[in-house]
Amino acid sequence: MTEQNLEQGITQDAPQNDEPGLDRDVAVVVDRVSMTYKVRAKDDEGKRTLRRRALDFIGTATVDVHALKELTFVAHRGESVGVIGTNGSGKSTLMKILTGQINPTSGTVHATSTPVMLGVNAALQPQISGNDNITLGCLAMGMTRRQLEAKRESIIALAGLQDSIHLPLKSYSSGMSARLQFAIATSIDPDILIIDEALNTGDAQFREKTRQHLDSLRGQAGCVFLVSHSLGTIREMCSRVLWIERGELIMDGDPAEVTEQYNSYAGQMGRGRIKRPRQQREALKKQLVKTDVVWSP
Amino acid sequence: MTEQVTPIGGTQRVQVSPEGLVKVGARPGFFEYARQIWQFRSFIHFDSRSRIATGNSDDALGRIWLVLNPILNGATYFFVFGVLLNTAKGIENFIAYLIIGVFMFRFTTGSITQGARALNNNQSMMRAFNFPRATLPLAVNVRELMSQVIVITTMLVLILAIPPLERITWLWFLLVPVVLVQFLFNLGLSLLLCRIVTRLPDVVNLISFGTRIWLYLSCVFFSLERFENHPGIYQAMQLNPLFCVLDITRDILLYGNVPSLERWAVLGAWTLVLLIVGSIAFWKAEESYNQERA
Repeated sequence: MTEQNLEQGITQDAPQNDEPGLDRDVAVVVDRVSMTYKVRAKDDEGKRTLRRRALDFIGTATVDVHALKELTFVAHRGESVGVIGTNGSGKSTLMKILTGQINPTSGTVHATSTPVMLGVNAALQPQISGNDNITLGCLAMGMTRRQLEAKRESIIALAGLQDSIHLPLKSYSSGMSARLQFAIATSIDPDILIIDEALNTGDAQFREKTRQHLDSLRGQAGCVFLVSHSLGTIREMCSRVLWIERGELIMDGDPAEVTEQYNSYAGQMGRGRIKRPRQQREALKKQLVKTDVVWSP
Repeated sequence: MTEQVTPIGGTQRVQVSPEGLVKVGARPGFFEYARQIWQFRSFIHFDSRSRIATGNSDDALGRIWLVLNPILNGATYFFVFGVLLNTAKGIENFIAYLIIGVFMFRFTTGSITQGARALNNNQSMMRAFNFPRATLPLAVNVRELMSQVIVITTMLVLILAIPPLERITWLWFLLVPVVLVQFLFNLGLSLLLCRIVTRLPDVVNLISFGTRIWLYLSCVFFSLERFENHPGIYQAMQLNPLFCVLDITRDILLYGNVPSLERWAVLGAWTLVLLIVGSIAFWKAEESYNQERA
């Protein structure tokens, strides 16, 4: 990123602004978002007050877990943003906050429309038929009856369930219902799309179909977030990568550069080293260009 | 390695215009929320219909249980209270009296016990889709209303078939507003309980006790005249909204009386208060239903 760009307050991928200072084509603004979970557990540290002991005894004592520390970034239309980080780094928490599934402890997320998470997370009802599950899922996503009927054929085709769509779901194999879930979840045309490691379901034939379907969805969507452990996929598909580690954003930039750093970090961690990765983390945090969002009136 | 990164650091300021952006996960205003629920009406309708169709799909007799359940319940109460304890004293046509009590009371217990758990029972739906959460307790109540139509039809058939026979009068049409008001009453109470249960799941354990005590206090199988000599209890019993529902229904179907205005007023007041308090309480916590419980 050049000095000039920094002054104008735009990132590399954003088109040139006519009006310097105001960031155009914004898709998602994550402004000072943090997340702290309260988890039911005994707290062995700290003072053993009477209240603490009583709560421990009933089993309702809680401990704070800081899943995300304060985090700010802006994503633009046309960007596909990869999100990487080791397990437990807070990636999934961040994605859930983006979709409004959970609310951050502090901070706000603004977007052109509520981001939609794609995955195998459509809820299916085992008692009713595949067809009725399509109806229920699509209506729950806010489709109208007409939109739903227009989509039905393509959902059935993508799931490859032409023969068994009238049977109750409990008669499906787990692969069949996973395919149906995926087909329902991806039937809307979202403006902002989040893909959370959704690529690895089903058999080889279905995987190819999924890939094509996701490619076309990505083409239509204004902005895509891709959460994956596959650095190859990230490099291939993304124009920008966020690296989140221990609930903090430590790198934000070019996919090749970020994945290379991440690779060496994960390698060190894998070998059980502690000091080198920590130094790397500290150094990266110092180099990170932090974002400060200013809301224009 | 770390050395390869060009050192930059610092902070970039990004100016953003809020125009064209919406806040994710924000609770809409009350009337906007109501409008969103209206937009999800097909979802509510389909959800309640598909559940009613499959509610008993594992049972050999299937949907017949919808009718069989209150009949068996009524038979049990008839045996225990009518035959063994003889609470029927002074009630003419006790069987019809009991049938109305059991069948109409069932509507409220079914609605609120299911309604209170509507969010806790549908966690997977809520994780997968973004929709106004009030649609879930609403769908439960609509489903119970649909079931109640079948149950009431059975009730009328039984009243007409078991002697002493009752005459059909124009008053029977008043059954429609009774059921609609009871539906709104159930809905208000469900929304309120749903809010409480999602915050404090323990309350679910108390609801079944609550409805049982309520059943015993609502003159399902004895008459109010028993307490004529205890003015305090006598007055208090008449403030019970479900007693009002049962009394109005009996007036209409059994006694051919126009139900008293007092009963309508008590029932209407409860319904209005619960509907307002319930929907505001539920709406206020809309954002918190998404919070994952650890």
